[in-house]
Amino acid sequence: MHDGIHAEKAGVPSATICTDRFVPTATAMARMWGAADYPTIFTQHPVENLTRQQVRQRAEELASQVARVLTGGLP
Amino acid sequence: MPDTGETTTVRWADPLEAIERCYDLGWTDGLPVAPPTQQRVAQFLACAGREASEEVGQLPERRRRVTAGKVAANAVMAGCLPEHFPVVLAAAEAMLDPVFNLVGPSSSLGGAAILVIVNGPVVQQLNINCRANLFGPGNRANATIGRAVRLILMNACAAIPGLFDRSVIGHPGKYSYCIAEAETETHWTPLHVDRGFAPGQSAVTVFAAEGPRQVRATGHPEAILYSIADVASSLGTSMSTSGSVGDSAAGLRQGQIVVTIAGNSGLWRDWSKDDVRRYLHQRIRRSVADLKTARVLPGPVAAGDNERYVSLVPQPEDILLVFAGGEEANMSSVIPSWGPKVGSTAVTKEVRLP
Repeated sequence: MHDGIHAEKAGVPSATICTDRFVPTATAMARMWGAADYPTIFTQHPVENLTRQQVRQRAEELASQVARVLTGGLP
Repeated sequence: MPDTGETTTVRWADPLEAIERCYDLGWTDGLPVAPPTQQRVAQFLACAGREASEEVGQLPERRRRVTAGKVAANAVMAGCLPEHFPVVLAAAEAMLDPVFNLVGPSSSLGGAAILVIVNGPVVQQLNINCRANLFGPGNRANATIGRAVRLILMNACAAIPGLFDRSVIGHPGKYSYCIAEAETETHWTPLHVDRGFAPGQSAVTVFAAEGPRQVRATGHPEAILYSIADVASSLGTSMSTSGSVGDSAAGLRQGQIVVTIAGNSGLWRDWSKDDVRRYLHQRIRRSVADLKTARVLPGPVAAGDNERYVSLVPQPEDILLVFAGGEEANMSSVIPSWGPKVGSTAVTKEVRLP
């Protein structure tokens, strides 16, 4: 969250993906940095146990949201 | 929680109401705190010769600038005496040193606590316990200095459980985790001297720590050290995860470890701290076969993996050896770090008195 928000503030388009167990932390971090509207992309927790193929599948599911956020839209 | 950590001032009618207000404001660790009145905070600051606005350190990732006033307020709340405050300040300075990387151990799922180890004349001056019941209750200095560190984390560094402190299970040391070395009762070099300070200086070492694992062994140095090495080599600590030994070619990817040794120091008359560290460093390791079976290292177990070992500690000096605990038995403890050195490295700061 911290790095994504700062990249965006520096003019570098960013998309931050966070698992849904971290919604309160992500939201608080965004608010802390004056970026309450930062468009975080949330995905189902956990990701640690996913196989390589499952990670690829998850990435494909999220790709369109990432593209929208990187071009200034909402997830 | 204020987004930028500004100071809040409130009024109360009586002490019990004040204690409850501190709960309402989210200032406690779950136990009652001593209300941080302006008068009491000023008394603490005077004891260390510091101004309230003086900066102790920063936690830039959370936009927190920690001042002496905030450290004092939390030391008051923890139940410290004014003379404990310089020790708390040194601990705060140490954990806010960039090398310590406080944002890591104070937020991680790994559930670290900040272990505070005190050395030097201040140990006896303030009656900081270094003997029986080392990690246990019953001594004001240890209990309140350690607790002050936790309250500083929560109130001045936004390490709020469930919000920015995301420990999955944590451990009891997160309430209070402060010990001292019994350096006047051993020929061993004190920890702070090992780390570059003079024997006459007082210093505080902070370490991002798992809980202490007690080690019982028969009263012979080699038997004790062999047992300590076995415990320190366990699977399941942060030191034997893929994050710490997955790339052991780079020493920074491995972690430090604290070892406390109690009992009669005469048992160790033929051993220096360097001897102990060298012995342990050679044996705190795990076979490639075990690490692969636990999926710490990738791939199937191959021929020869049972005979190949990965060291869990990069260098002998990354074993922080402390002589402390009761004299009655040869009990030791092993305290693995929260993660590799690149994640957090122990920091020692001088206790400065006015």
